[in-house]
Amino acid sequence: MSDSVIGRKGAFRLPSYVFLLFPAVAFILIMYAYPFILSFVKSFELDGAFSTANYKKAVELYYMDITFTFLVTLFNSTLATLLGVLLSVYFRLNDSFISRTLIKLYRIPIFIPFVVVAQMMNSFLAPHGILNLFLGKIGLIDLDNPLQLFNFAGLSFGFAWKLIPFTVMIIFGGFQMIDNSYIEAARSAGAKLHQIIIKILIPMNGSSILVAMVLVYSQIVGTFTLPYMLIGGKIPTTITVDIAHRVNYYRDFGVANALGVFSYIMVIVTAVYYLRMNMKDAKIAHPIG
Amino acid sequence: MRKSLIILLVLLLSAGLVFAGGKKEAGKIVLMTAGDTNMLAIQQNVLGPQFAAKNPGTGLISVHTGPGNAGSQRIYEKLLAESESNKEVWDIDVAIVHEIFMKWAMDKDLLLPFAKENDSWKYVTSPFAKTTLGVNIEGYGIPMFHSQTAIAYNPQFVKNPPKTYAELEKWVKDNPGKFGYNGVKGGASGVSFVVGWVYWKTGRYEKLAVTGPVEQSEIASWEGAYKALEDFNQNVTYTAGNVGTLDALNRGEIWMGPVWVDMFFTFMKEGKLNPETRMILPDPGMPGQPMYYVIPKKAANPELAKKYIAYATSPEVQGKEIVEKFNWYPGIDGSFLEGKVPPEVYKKIYSDVTPADLQKKGLSFPLADYHTAMLESYEKWVRK
Repeated sequence: MSDSVIGRKGAFRLPSYVFLLFPAVAFILIMYAYPFILSFVKSFELDGAFSTANYKKAVELYYMDITFTFLVTLFNSTLATLLGVLLSVYFRLNDSFISRTLIKLYRIPIFIPFVVVAQMMNSFLAPHGILNLFLGKIGLIDLDNPLQLFNFAGLSFGFAWKLIPFTVMIIFGGFQMIDNSYIEAARSAGAKLHQIIIKILIPMNGSSILVAMVLVYSQIVGTFTLPYMLIGGKIPTTITVDIAHRVNYYRDFGVANALGVFSYIMVIVTAVYYLRMNMKDAKIAHPIG
Repeated sequence: MRKSLIILLVLLLSAGLVFAGGKKEAGKIVLMTAGDTNMLAIQQNVLGPQFAAKNPGTGLISVHTGPGNAGSQRIYEKLLAESESNKEVWDIDVAIVHEIFMKWAMDKDLLLPFAKENDSWKYVTSPFAKTTLGVNIEGYGIPMFHSQTAIAYNPQFVKNPPKTYAELEKWVKDNPGKFGYNGVKGGASGVSFVVGWVYWKTGRYEKLAVTGPVEQSEIASWEGAYKALEDFNQNVTYTAGNVGTLDALNRGEIWMGPVWVDMFFTFMKEGKLNPETRMILPDPGMPGQPMYYVIPKKAANPELAKKYIAYATSPEVQGKEIVEKFNWYPGIDGSFLEGKVPPEVYKKIYSDVTPADLQKKGLSFPLADYHTAMLESYEKWVRK
């Protein structure tokens, strides 16, 4: 080592960890940070000059879609987290044939890509799709006037189907870390089921529940396939569909970038929270000094 | 340290060799196509092998960039990048592209003017080979096929299909929810329906699609047309894309909707559509579009590329493959196909939408600026 160029006495010497970090940091800078910053900068550009026209147009044409996207995201991440918690509680506290089978099965949707989910939901939720035909056969609805599900409701159903297993995976993992003795102690002190859930399980597992929610939230904001294939041309639709439309039909990257910035704004709160929590965890694991 | 430096250098060198791409094999045509998967299928499995069998020592490497304008856009970006980096020889020999590509590529001078000396130019009579979206492209492309939109309907429920947009508007009011289309963001059959609507409401097809000029006051005058469309939409079922409209027709969810004629026939042939379903082209007409064969300006094998295009647009191939197998309208003049296509195929393709219909009501998409304005106006004025 002593005969290497950088090791020579008096020469500038880079700390060796720089070499270790370089590939990862360079990758992140080139593949993520650069496009991210560029899209932000370009959203303020029109014909090469600074302008806020892209934002004006984005708001004028798409304010309904922006609101719609935010509502879809908020509703579905809350729903997925809530149902994720309930299912995880069931898996944690109930040891039966059914729960054991479900534990083996529930992960399947995680591995199915959104495009497949979208096609599936298309034939399942269509006015004369599987669901409506089934409900029609058992006499619950009239097939001439079936449930219309290519909208907020159907989109939410698709997201729930795909994302609840994901939240369960994270939250159930957290619940499994909680020692049985806590639950037994609470039970012997006379705690009821809901008290065990609210006072023991959820507080002891708060961070993983929030992580699940944050991850699901940012996934929904960025999903294109499901809304495109389910409610593509409808009004309102999600901003990912609008971004594709701006680029494909108008080659208008300015407004597309501005819409992108709106989605950054939607996720930034959760992203900051997620990073802070990660840093807190890291400090606990490796206290400095 | 020295050792690791040497290893790194060797790795870099070998990576360079692997990714450099090397010289292209002579006799291989590189073809890039936009469009649906059937576009890849016809080149890769049908025309490519046929051409190679007729011309020993040649071959076709086909690349697919995806459906819609987005697919053409990828080809455009590739050519633009090669042009801007001043590359002497470009990678693509033949490209198959949409109308809008022609405008982009002509603006940046990316194409070779090859068509007029091509063997098959004498069969080309389509006005789309001269101008497209108001841009003069004569000599730069040969239509591979022509695609048309029309209104498909289920005769079980629709005994007297509306013959005009005006009748359709009334029909939809009387039969709420039974007409379906995909808006303007869910695929081009919806776009085409909306464009036809504007042609009808304004009555200025010539100005909007052929002569121009592009005027802001013209665009501003469409508000009423779009507000009427917004009302119309209240009784419409939105479908999930071009395929979504056909699926919904097949499942009986809707009784009528705009479709691409070639997709209609393909669905029919594959048994995915009720065989009773029919089509009608309402007055004043709906737009259609060709896809073009083009040769990039600095293609590596321009002579071979020309030969390939001449083959692909010969009456034999146009009749047997384009019309009979893939159900498109031919890119060249239909009169040259007589005797090349079995009469029953000819009859099937031209029974609902007749050649006379196509002549009169097969419109083109508007001038590029009006096209953009029509889509944006939809987003601006159709809010429900």
